[in-house]
Amino acid sequence: MPAISVDTLTKSYGQTLALSDLSFEVEEGEVFGFLGPNGAGKSTTINVILDFIRPTAGQVTVLGLDAQAHSREIRSRTGVLPEGVETYDRLTARQHLEFAIDSKGADDDPEALLERVGLRDAIDKKAGGYSKGMSQRLMLAMALVGEPELLILDEPSTGLDPNGAREMREIVREESARGATVFFSSHIMEQVEAVCDRVGILRDGEMVAVDTVSGLRDSVGGGTSLRVTVDRINDDALQAVRSLPDVGGATVEGQNPPTLVVQVDGSKTTVLSTLEDRGIDVQDFSTTEASLEDVFQSYTTDTSTEVEAR
Amino acid sequence: MSTDTATGSGKTTSPSSSINLESVRAVAKKDFQDAVRSWMFWGLSIFFFVLLVAVTGTISYFGEEIAQQGVTTEALVLFVSQITRLVIPLIALILGWKAIAGERETGSIKILLSLPHSRKDVLLGKLIGRSAVLSVSLIVGFALAAIVVAALLGSFDPVDYVSLLVMAIIYGLAYTSIAVSLSSVTRSTTIAGAAMFGVFILFYIVWNAIQTVFQILMNRGTIEGVSYTQEVTGPDGTTQQIPMDRLPDWALFIDTIDPGNAFQNAITVLSSTGSSELGTSYPEVWFSSDVPFYLQNWFSFIILLLWIVVPIAIALYRFDRVDL
Repeated sequence: MPAISVDTLTKSYGQTLALSDLSFEVEEGEVFGFLGPNGAGKSTTINVILDFIRPTAGQVTVLGLDAQAHSREIRSRTGVLPEGVETYDRLTARQHLEFAIDSKGADDDPEALLERVGLRDAIDKKAGGYSKGMSQRLMLAMALVGEPELLILDEPSTGLDPNGAREMREIVREESARGATVFFSSHIMEQVEAVCDRVGILRDGEMVAVDTVSGLRDSVGGGTSLRVTVDRINDDALQAVRSLPDVGGATVEGQNPPTLVVQVDGSKTTVLSTLEDRGIDVQDFSTTEASLEDVFQSYTTDTSTEVEAR
Repeated sequence: MSTDTATGSGKTTSPSSSINLESVRAVAKKDFQDAVRSWMFWGLSIFFFVLLVAVTGTISYFGEEIAQQGVTTEALVLFVSQITRLVIPLIALILGWKAIAGERETGSIKILLSLPHSRKDVLLGKLIGRSAVLSVSLIVGFALAAIVVAALLGSFDPVDYVSLLVMAIIYGLAYTSIAVSLSSVTRSTTIAGAAMFGVFILFYIVWNAIQTVFQILMNRGTIEGVSYTQEVTGPDGTTQQIPMDRLPDWALFIDTIDPGNAFQNAITVLSSTGSSELGTSYPEVWFSSDVPFYLQNWFSFIILLLWIVVPIAIALYRFDRVDL
């Protein structure tokens, strides 16, 4: 049984189509990265999953239960970190957690939870004085209350510094090890690739790719970028490199010393020999595998041509 | 897959959430905790205290005649009820206007609804939490003032005093229900605030105007008035029967619907304060037989109860059906 099953979900606001025929499944126990640029429909999807908004068409099932008919039951077994939410200014971290514990009928210790998210020192301070990162930590602690079967984290890294983001990923790993399913939305690939078993990329309300991290990497054609440091560069040489059949593109990056960045699929030596044939001295070169960020870019930017949606 | 997924697809089930009392309690408790720390709560308590003490002081300084008649608590109830009639709606509307709309605007409603609370739980919890803030501040203000009032006034009638307090709480509950309900039908606190202001204007200006309009319409013959005979004693000692017209019962009833009138009418039932001075009152000669039940003062309790129940019932129905 999948933890979350979204089946031909459509949501429109008047003429605007926020989600169109979206279908995907999140397996029990996995860490699923829900990736997409801002405005792609990630929050809309999560809002339907939590019954904050009602679908125009389609069906969402969470933990085997209909998301609309059994929302309370679902939310009692789910921990949620909502996006872009203000905490209650006049309540302390302890009171926030006591409210969550009380609401879920759990018996967690507020101090232990705050210790986990690194907010132990601020336990009796009012949340009104918190920084954005502190509020985010508090919300994460609230999501952890009651050892939920499913964690839904909507842009959890918002407001966190790199260290905070790393700690947050650590908690995701711990929760996953405990057996929880984690549904993790983000608009930054880097945040999800480190922790997610699978990633779904959403664009304009449609899922354009669902795969494992390595699968996604392969899907953009093993794209390697070759970085060549040369003594000088001219247009003639640049054109020659660009016209090679295996080269996807070449750009000059920096002039001192001149560096060429070449997207290449096949033989790298051809590129190097082409340059040398034109009397250009290759001083150094290196190759890098296409980063997942590049993969993400290729799926979500209009300029990409090679990528086919599904 | 479970069977409910099969039945759920295809047809749109009208969303209706359940009510869980534990959830309502948790939301109300959080809301009260939140509000009790605001300046509003303590400001209100002090306000009610000062109001009572000031009115009492005025009565004891200037109202020697009232004091001699031993009806000082009645006078206090009379004055204070006039002021609270105006002030409580304002306070309740200010306390309630952001209850739901504010949480939707800041997004914190998602904190409440990410936890296993239904939308109905949240609305009821908010209503109870906000009502508790108003009620507790009334109780604190009245309790502290009781000592001063009893000391300043020659005679202190606890029944009258407590009647005023109880009715002020019920009256506050009615307006809090209106405020929380209005707050739930819009996403914008600006619209919610404007709606609150509209309600205030409705009962303070429009409602009085309606009675004047009815009177004019009756004089022009558009509304058929009810005839009655007024006995007038002439200067020579003879009595004369003069036929007169009054507004029909339904028009009078509209006047009693105003929560402010209902509040004061209900006070006259509980306390010894005269009914001719408070709320609506009609001379006996207007009615050939018994006064219709819906124009009797006890009916004002029903009216106030409806003002509590009806707005929140509509809000409970509607709030289940909106996108947050």
